[in-house]
Parts: sequence; structure tokens; C-alpha cells
Amino acid sequence: MTAKAQLRTVRRFFGDLAVPGTVKALLWAVAGFNVLLLAWTFLSSVRTSRALWTSPLGVDGLDLGGYARAWHAADFAGMLLNTVLVVGVSLLGILLVATPAAYMLARSSRRSAGPTLTYFAAGLALPVQAVLIPYQTLASSVSQFMVDWVTGWWDDRISLVVVDVAMSLPFTVFVLSGYFRSLPAELEEAAALDGAGPVRTFWTVMVPVARPGLTTVTVLNAIGLWNEFLLVSVMVHDPAKFTLPAALNQLSSTMQYTSDWGGLFAGVTILVAPMVALFFWCGRRIMDGMTLGATK
Amino acid sequence: MADTSTARGASRSSRPAFRTAGRARPGAAQGVSQRDAKGWFRLFTWPAVLLYPVGFLGPSLYGVVISFAKWSGPGAPLTWVGWRNYVRVFRDDTVRQAFVNTALVVLVGGAAVFALAFLAMAVLRDMRGRAFVRAAVYLPSIISMIAVGTSLGFLLNPDGVVNRLLGLLGLEALQQTWLDPQHIFGCIVVGVVWMGSGFYIVLLMTAVDAIPKHLYEEAQLTGLTRMQQFRWITLPLSRDMIAIAAVLWTANSLRTFDIVIGFVGTAGTPSVNARTYAVQQWLSAGHTTGGGAPELGYASAMATLLTVLTVALVVLVRRLGRSDRLEIS
Repeated sequence: MTAKAQLRTVRRFFGDLAVPGTVKALLWAVAGFNVLLLAWTFLSSVRTSRALWTSPLGVDGLDLGGYARAWHAADFAGMLLNTVLVVGVSLLGILLVATPAAYMLARSSRRSAGPTLTYFAAGLALPVQAVLIPYQTLASSVSQFMVDWVTGWWDDRISLVVVDVAMSLPFTVFVLSGYFRSLPAELEEAAALDGAGPVRTFWTVMVPVARPGLTTVTVLNAIGLWNEFLLVSVMVHDPAKFTLPAALNQLSSTMQYTSDWGGLFAGVTILVAPMVALFFWCGRRIMDGMTLGATK
Repeated sequence: MADTSTARGASRSSRPAFRTAGRARPGAAQGVSQRDAKGWFRLFTWPAVLLYPVGFLGPSLYGVVISFAKWSGPGAPLTWVGWRNYVRVFRDDTVRQAFVNTALVVLVGGAAVFALAFLAMAVLRDMRGRAFVRAAVYLPSIISMIAVGTSLGFLLNPDGVVNRLLGLLGLEALQQTWLDPQHIFGCIVVGVVWMGSGFYIVLLMTAVDAIPKHLYEEAQLTGLTRMQQFRWITLPLSRDMIAIAAVLWTANSLRTFDIVIGFVGTAGTPSVNARTYAVQQWLSAGHTTGGGAPELGYASAMATLLTVLTVALVVLVRRLGRSDRLEIS
């Protein structure tokens, strides 16, 4: 065997078998670890704190005490409701505000359409830290102002929803306008021939056709808002109005006194399970949508 | 980005004369007068165009204004201090430590994430079970980092699962008090890499999937190994996507925050070793368990510097990643 042939065999061995094989094993290991960690978290939520502490990896009887404590004592029932409320209302607001704008910006040939889109895109580069202190002070000022002068009451969750909608606009407008642009112009021409005005064309023709795109941005925004912690931590002062991530953080801070690990994992599960279910339902769409949004 | 969108918008209207003559919407709006078209444009876009500056851009400018003041919040006296907050950021040892930590996340974490993503690009293209692997490695990206930090915190306890497994394997020497100040930052970087890599793998794989299959088949026939195919086909043809991924990583990892809070949730205020820049800023705004007056001006100065740094780095990374587009013949 010549030296050259030997070299080729060595190269084949590493380049075709050894390295790719190791990488495949590594990827499977990471994938397996993720699935097992998730399964372990769910399992731990139905075990007693004592059992969890003495044999963390064991499997024993079903104990729903953790859920009872998280649900009632730590009020995860209320926090779940808060989260659903804040996320739901924010999503509604985002869609109502962003969809018509995205449609017009994508379809209009007005000269201001391009610069307006750029103006929205600029928000994508702004880190949330830049608005953290302003939101913190504005939220408490608005709350003070409304209580003293206008309504006599205020709910920080309203401020949170307004901020959630405003912060989601750059991403949503950008992705949706890309989607509207990909639709055929014949749709509007046909609608115009049938005598439909702009509002009718938008509402009865374009919105139904754009439903896949609308679903994608809704799901992506839902994931982001559901897991959002930083804004809640600076804007919502009453723990009874926290969303789930803030509630879990608070619950986990009490662990050094209570050691109620069963309850903690029940809390983790209540926070995580809806997102996992969403991922099972439309994981492909989430992955495609996120990468699409990133490359815009 | 915007240039292409306007160009595309213009080319879509099939009659250029129509566009220069009037500003009416192409196609659809023949029946609507120009003034009406303008009205509809405003009606559709203005809610977003107005809410966005009021709710987002305006507050960020307000933050820049506060950064020149010494202020502990509404109701407290406010004194203008000029650039003093900015000077202080550069002299503050705690901030320096937090910044060094963040730089480590960006650089070391980034190297690990991209190494993993590149390796995945070489094999995930036609591996058995690739759909499952992709979904499973992506899973952490949609889960609350607070939840993940909490679960991992339990595993990494001194008597936790990790140390017990090491004990079972006879590796007592490797047992650590993982959440102690000297180890916790390493754990955080590993956590960031683990949680982040899935997104970047999936992102880069979309570029790999767009590469024509016949290139690999020909390479196979020519006798190129898998790794050579990666080096000579996959890498050059996904350069644009790698540049985008690098920009995203830079912008996102500079803001690392949730995972730190999740990890140290049980311990209250994160120790100096565990803090990232974003965490330090949050703490300066008054979110410590130890109390201390909020320093809103100071925290705003830190935020402004972060924004400037993010924009500068994104521009730099984008410039580095720019290349002549490769055409596939």
C-alpha cells in the first residue's frame, strides 16, 4: 500500500466514520438528555418532597400534594389565570394593531411605506434593557396618576399588556408584512372588481388567506410572552398579579425555608407543560417561524 | 433589508407609469380616489405607527435622559449629574466583573454554540431520526429559563443528582459544590450553551436544507469524505446564514438574564461571580433582596451603554460576515 493510499484510508476513517459518528452520538445524547430532563421534571411534580430528596431519580407512588400546595398555597391557580389573561389580551392587541399595518405596508406603493417598515425594523435592534428603567418608573407613575386623579384604581397588568403589545410590534409587523407580500396581487384585484372597498378586501379576503402567517406570529408571540419574566419583575408590584415565571421565581426563593420540592416541581410543570403541548401541536411551525423571523 | 422590500414593492406594481403618475394603490384601488387611498393607508397603519413610538421608542429615549440624572424613582428628588453616571460605570469593579462575565458568555459560549452547530450541520442533513433530534435539541428554546434554572438548580445541589451520579460512578473527585460562587458561572455558561444551541442548529440547518442534493452526490462520487463535504460545500454555501446567526447570537447573548435568575432563585441576590451585565443593571434598579435605594440614573446609563455596544457589535459582525454571494451553477 502506498503512503498516499494509506493517508486516504486514514482520512476516510476519520472523515466518514469517526467524526460523524461521534457527532451523531453527541446529538442523540443532547436530544435524549432534553427529553429525559423534561420527563424527570414532570415525574418529580407528582412525588413527595421527602421521596424526591432521598432518591431524586426514583419512581414511586402518585402524590398530587405538590399540585395542591402550588395551586392553593402558592396561588398558581391565580397566576395561571393572570398569565392566560395577560398573554391573551396582549395577543389580541398585537394582532389588531399589527395586522392592518403590516398589510398596508406590504401592499401599498405609497412612498412612505418603505421607510415606515425600516422604522419598525429599527426596534428589533433595541435591547429590552434600554426600556427597563423607563417602564419601571412610568408604570408606577401611571398607576399613581390613575389612582389619584382618574379612576381611583389601577392594575399594573394593564400597563404590562400595553408594553407587551408595543414591544412585539417590530417583530410582528416585519414578519407579517413579509407574509402579505408573498400573496398574489390577483386576490385584491379580484376583490376590487367585485366592488369591495379596502376594509372589506382586507377583512374578508386577505386575513383569511393570511391565516397561516397569522397563526405563526401568534404562536411565536405567545411563547415569548408566556415566558417573559424581566418586564413583569419591574412593572408588577403586587405578587397576586404576577405571571407564572415571576410566581415560580418567587416560589423558588422560599425553598430555603420550606424545602417543598414537590410543590416547586408542580409549579415548574404548570409553567412548562402548556408550552410543551404547544410544541407537540405545532413544533414544525414554531421552528420554521422562528428561523423565518430571524432571517428577515 | 428595507431597500429590498421597497424595491420588491415597486417591481410588484406592473405599470411603472401608474406609480409615477399617481400614488394610488396598484391593482386593487382603481375605484378609490387618491385622497381616499391616503386615508385608508393612515387608518390601517396609524395605530401601529403611533403605539410603537409611544410604547417603545419614546421610553427608550426617556431612558437616555434619565441616565444623566441621579434619581431613585417617582416622588424622590432628581438631580442632574451630567456624564457622572457614565464615568462611574467604567470605574465600578462590580460592573467590570459583570461585563467580563457577559463577554465570556458571548465569546466562550458563542464558540461552543457555533462549534456544536457546525458539527450538527455536517451530519444532521441526512441522519436517521433527524426530525426527532432537531425537535428535541430545539425544545429548550421554548421553555422558560426561570423553569430550567430552577430544575437544574435542584440537580446541582450539593446533595443533588449530579453529585450522587458522580459518586455512583466512583468519581468523587469530580463532585463539586456547583452553585458556590467559584463554580456557578461555569454552570451558567454551560446552561446558556445548552439552551441556545438548539435554535442556532435549526436556524443553520434551514440553510443546509436549501443546498441542492446533487452537489453532495457528486462530491460523494469524487471521493470527498463527510467532513470534506462540510468544509467545501456546506460551509461556503451557508455563509450568509452563518453571518445572520452570528449577529443574532451577539445581540441575544449580550442580554443574558433569565437563566442567571433561574439558577440562583433559591439564593436571592446572585453573587458577583454569577452576574451578567443585564443582571447587574437590574440589581442597580433596586431589585436586590438586601435593599438599597434604586439608582435609576446609573442603571439607565448602563442600559444606554449596552444599546450602543449591541449596535456597534452587530454592525461589526455584519461587516465581518459580508462576502460576495456565491452562486450555485
